[in-house]
Amino acid sequence: MVKKPRPRWIHPLHLKLLRDIAKMKGQMTAVSLIMACGLAMMILSRSLLLSLESTRDAYYQSTRFADVFCDLKRAPNALRTRLSQIEGAAAVETRVKGKLTLDLPGLSEPADGLVHSLPEDRPQLLNRLFLRQGRLPETGRRGEVAVGEAFAKAHGFQPGHELSAVLHGARQRLTIVGIVLSPEYVFESRPGDALPDNRRFGVFWMNERELASAFQLEGAFNSVLVDVAPGHSQAAVMADLDRLLAPYGGLVAYNRKDHASATRLDDELRVMEGLSLVFPAVFLSIAAFMTSALLTRLVRLQREQIAQLKALGYSSLQVGFHYLQFALVIVAVGLVTGAIAGLWLGSNVVHFYERFFQFPELRFHPNLPWIGVAFFVSAAAAFLGVVAAVRQAVRLPPAEAMRPEPPAQFRASLFERIGLSRLASPAFRMILRNIERKPWHAAFTALGLALATGIPVVPGAMRDGIGFLLDFQWDLAQRQDASLSLVEPGSASTLNEIRHLPGVLTAEPFRTVPARLRFGHASRRLGITGLPRDALLNRVLDARGEPIALPPEGLLVSAKLAEVLGARPGDRVLLEIQEGRRPRLETVIQGLLTDYAGLSAYMEIKALQRLMREGGTVSGAHLALDPARWEAFLERIRESPRVASLAVKDAVRKSFRESTAEMIGMIQSLYFGFAVVVVFGVVYNSARIALSERSRDLATLRVIGFTHREVLWIMVGEIALLTVVAVPVGLALGSLLATLIVHTASTETVRMPLVLSARTYATAALLVAVSASVSCAVVSRRIRHLDLLAVLKSTE
Amino acid sequence: MFSGVATPSTPAPGPPPSQDQSATPLFSARGLTKIYGSGAGQIRALDGLDLDLYAGELVVLLGASGSGKSTLLNNLGGLDVPSTGSLTYQGRDLAGADEDALTEFRRHSVGFVFQFYNLIPSLTGRENVALITDIARDPMPPEEALALVDLADRMDHFPSQMSGGEQQRVAIARAIAKRPEVLLCDEPTGALDVKTGITVLEAIEHVNRTMGTLTVIITHNAALAEMADRVIHLSDGRIVEIQKNAQRRPARSLVW
Repeated sequence: MVKKPRPRWIHPLHLKLLRDIAKMKGQMTAVSLIMACGLAMMILSRSLLLSLESTRDAYYQSTRFADVFCDLKRAPNALRTRLSQIEGAAAVETRVKGKLTLDLPGLSEPADGLVHSLPEDRPQLLNRLFLRQGRLPETGRRGEVAVGEAFAKAHGFQPGHELSAVLHGARQRLTIVGIVLSPEYVFESRPGDALPDNRRFGVFWMNERELASAFQLEGAFNSVLVDVAPGHSQAAVMADLDRLLAPYGGLVAYNRKDHASATRLDDELRVMEGLSLVFPAVFLSIAAFMTSALLTRLVRLQREQIAQLKALGYSSLQVGFHYLQFALVIVAVGLVTGAIAGLWLGSNVVHFYERFFQFPELRFHPNLPWIGVAFFVSAAAAFLGVVAAVRQAVRLPPAEAMRPEPPAQFRASLFERIGLSRLASPAFRMILRNIERKPWHAAFTALGLALATGIPVVPGAMRDGIGFLLDFQWDLAQRQDASLSLVEPGSASTLNEIRHLPGVLTAEPFRTVPARLRFGHASRRLGITGLPRDALLNRVLDARGEPIALPPEGLLVSAKLAEVLGARPGDRVLLEIQEGRRPRLETVIQGLLTDYAGLSAYMEIKALQRLMREGGTVSGAHLALDPARWEAFLERIRESPRVASLAVKDAVRKSFRESTAEMIGMIQSLYFGFAVVVVFGVVYNSARIALSERSRDLATLRVIGFTHREVLWIMVGEIALLTVVAVPVGLALGSLLATLIVHTASTETVRMPLVLSARTYATAALLVAVSASVSCAVVSRRIRHLDLLAVLKSTE
Repeated sequence: MFSGVATPSTPAPGPPPSQDQSATPLFSARGLTKIYGSGAGQIRALDGLDLDLYAGELVVLLGASGSGKSTLLNNLGGLDVPSTGSLTYQGRDLAGADEDALTEFRRHSVGFVFQFYNLIPSLTGRENVALITDIARDPMPPEEALALVDLADRMDHFPSQMSGGEQQRVAIARAIAKRPEVLLCDEPTGALDVKTGITVLEAIEHVNRTMGTLTVIITHNAALAEMADRVIHLSDGRIVEIQKNAQRRPARSLVW
């Protein structure tokens, strides 16, 4: 067969590149994979961020999600005209909003929800519904209801399904005519709840007249939505609204920053944005280290080839670019793998968000500009990693480079200089002196190993954080079996009635009033909860999980709330209660409590009742129940029109496990998977580079009679020594990284505790140890197959 | 230089003039063949070679590049095994020995000296020698080995602080510190200038005389032939001539 002439378009240098790459494909793949992990994470989170943001913005715009919200007791519909004249108000919507409870087959405890009116005599201007299925209630038809999709899905409801609901104390049969989505319930949960509980909470829409009559608000409204015209101050609109609604029992107006669903979504996006930078940055720095180490070694090995190329007439620039291409190949492989992995993960992970956030369509948008950013960041990192080595290589005059390199300069190590040389065997001295001769090289390797050790600490901390959270929230803080909320605050006798419900062993009252807390320029809308001083069921805990007794005066607030307000214990804050006679007073933050969801402020219940000038008024009670009488208890609750909601702890915990915990579990597995890749990649590459640097020495030792095992020990010794130094540093770095990530992920709506357990550290160390062992096995095999003769024939 | 190639066939292996004819050879090779590669690219590096080597003699293997001298040395030193044929050392089979047995053989019986010294750069001269004395059965102290090659005063220097000749003498000291029966030198002066080369050869000669070590030097420098008891000429994997020197010339008087 006649040999075909080699195609001309492949330059010999490219052939050299391809063949050199083929020889070091294992190591290059390892580095590319590390880079791919970082890029995948960056592309994943940036694309999710883009997807959620663009979906949110489009959804808010198409449905005209309001800018300002205000609830009130009751105002005549006539006021609507006056409200629409507020300067800066582009559109004003008034409506009736109320609570309902539902008795659902298949659900032992009652479910509850919020029901909103749909205008009948005018088009719906703001917070327009997106119809998923069926139709909206028809004007004039009674008993028709549209249901939020999350709740409908959780129960498998279809249009035509009938519901038995209690509205304002009256039982009513409702027919579902449509399944809908609303921009104000993208996060469909009880306002203020950090976690969705879609089986027990739903949102509903009914015709205005029917709903108004059910809530005895005929010709009136109790909720206002305002769309603020561009260029106008929301604060001014809110101030006007407050002024106009004050005579009608208006609660203070708020904007999207205080809107439960909107803030929950924004918090999620903020966390994602933080994570999209922190983690990839760590991965990419490791990849840059590894690229640098790999190519520095390559350039050293090819010293004579570089000289020959230069002797043949290649310019330094051409030679430099040739070596830079190795880095570019690593980056390109990393980028393509990372982009594919990131986009694939993203298109799957995005569906997880459908469980939390209700959008008409949550489509995955690849964030193409960020793929470009990812490329430039990783290429720059790789470039920085190799530029020094390449510069050194091309600077050498060809004649000098073609001569064998003189033996490397060594001196006695510090360990020996301080007189401990007798403790060191020649093999150990080799190790020490090698490390000391190139301390930066050793430090970089150790740093790479340390970063790799640190990465698995993060998913470990996540897992333990969730475990801790479950215990803290539902075993330490909330020891009640269920919490009962009343439709309207009840008196001391109501509490007494609750105490006498069947199966109730203990009932601890609570009183919740809406309020705004101000400190300096910062303020937050939240509920102030009154609890008995030494509550046994629902307890207020400090960071160590110890109960804190409520002080007779003043507030205990979430540590996060204090942080948000910029206040400290001892500071005086302005408390504006937004119910009843709306007292305003200065009070003192007496202490900080630890909680992991929302912002809360507690007062001693009697102090709150005194403040509200009410006797024994309660909003509900936390209950310890006799499991044997559970059914009888529920029976009575279902019958009672005064119960707004019943939160059953085990059900809430189960829902948390199934939603949030599963989501974090998924992220944790993802991070752990990435951690395994990094740890193995770094350890393996360090071992391979060390082997290639020592192969001549090791071959010499083999030739003069050292056994394979003895030679292996010299090799393993160096990796082991660096690993032993790197692991504690890595665990510390990992703890720092976990702290940073927990801090990034800590928002006003949900937070993660930082739990760093021995198990996490042990797992990380073990992962490194296993990777090191596997790498050593590979190295061992390579030492066994070292070409002793070739090594001895070469000058270096 | 190969004027004596007229020899009709491979010369019979035999003892050198200085050796007792009845002495048992240390190495005995019969039909030694080493083939690299397969198919069309096959190379017969050694082609049915017969050879005996005796204790105490100094043998120079001469041959052009590719003549098989390095392959022969590698087989003698237990760095490689022949494809066919037999090779024994003191009656022990080396041709069929496994990796562990060969390591053991190299560790206790053979000293190597290489063209490029192959010292461990991170160890001083003394420590490079100590590498061997730590694992050998009956070694001499490193200092004594270094004194034999006249390097007692430079032994605490690192390779980077020594001249090529000094580095090579450390390599010789490292090779002989275990008191090997065999010293195998692969182009020991290849990387050195004449004057330095002579000092290295003197060290090898000294070791051979004082310790009675069978010394095999491979080189393509024909001048070295005169310091040998026997000179074995190799070409194409065969022995083409064995030349016996009635008188060995001292290394110091060699010129090239």
